[in-house]
Amino acid sequence: MLTLRSLLRPTRRVYAHCDIPCGIYDPEQARIEAESCLRIIEKHDASDDKLFRARCIHVKEERAELVKHHLDVLWHDYFKPEHLEKHPGIHETFWKATKQASKVKQTMDVAAAKELLLMIDSVDEMWKATGGPEKTRVSGRPA
Amino acid sequence: MTAERGPRRALFLALGSLAAVTAAAVAAGRWLDIVAVSGRSMAPTLLAGDRLLVEAFSYRRRPPRAGEIILAADPRRPSRELVKRIGGVDPSSGSAELVGDAPDASTDSRSFGPVDLVDVRWRAAFRVWPPGRVGLVR
Repeated sequence: MLTLRSLLRPTRRVYAHCDIPCGIYDPEQARIEAESCLRIIEKHDASDDKLFRARCIHVKEERAELVKHHLDVLWHDYFKPEHLEKHPGIHETFWKATKQASKVKQTMDVAAAKELLLMIDSVDEMWKATGGPEKTRVSGRPA
Repeated sequence: MTAERGPRRALFLALGSLAAVTAAAVAAGRWLDIVAVSGRSMAPTLLAGDRLLVEAFSYRRRPPRAGEIILAADPRRPSRELVKRIGGVDPSSGSAELVGDAPDASTDSRSFGPVDLVDVRWRAAFRVWPPGRVGLVR
């Protein structure tokens, strides 16, 4: 028998889709990995242990790759075209910062690692200017 | 009493036949259909669990217009059907920008680009569930 219930039964599902509905996007993630790179380079330079130095190089390359990944996620997924209108420098900033991360991956240059931190800080400024902390951070984080 | 019964019976008849026609059309599934909404990118207009009556008449006569809520295949994963709002239509390229009513929680044309208008067949017309939010979708 035809009932109201059978009449209203959906035949398929449609998606008001969002890739990450509660997206957490935070430049701090990239910053922490970049700080690791800097510290590892310093530890590498201060050591005479061949094995330790080899491990430093290996781990630093992993961390630098993570910096690139976290920057990419911010670039592709957090920043939207409407942000670009107000902050036309977004693409240039990310392009330079990810290139700098490559440089830190390839070299043992302390200055390059410090420069990368400054570049991540300029990403952080744009993130804050677009309301990033309010939009993407879970409240209740210790100051 | 008898004076009232006539119009009331007519109303019941009209509603009854409307329901029957709707039922037949939904059963056919080609022109009208009931779909369930997942996700929250169309909040507050559409919420997860809402059921919509969708129709495929309008876009046989005319192209979709900005502001309408439509169904379209996800360009990145065509087996997934999206429900989004038309943000804008570009007649010269025959494409439409899809947006979510909750832009901060929506993956839409800002990520995957415009979609072809010819692929947009279904328009969301009416919310049939939940009972408290039954009404036209706009």
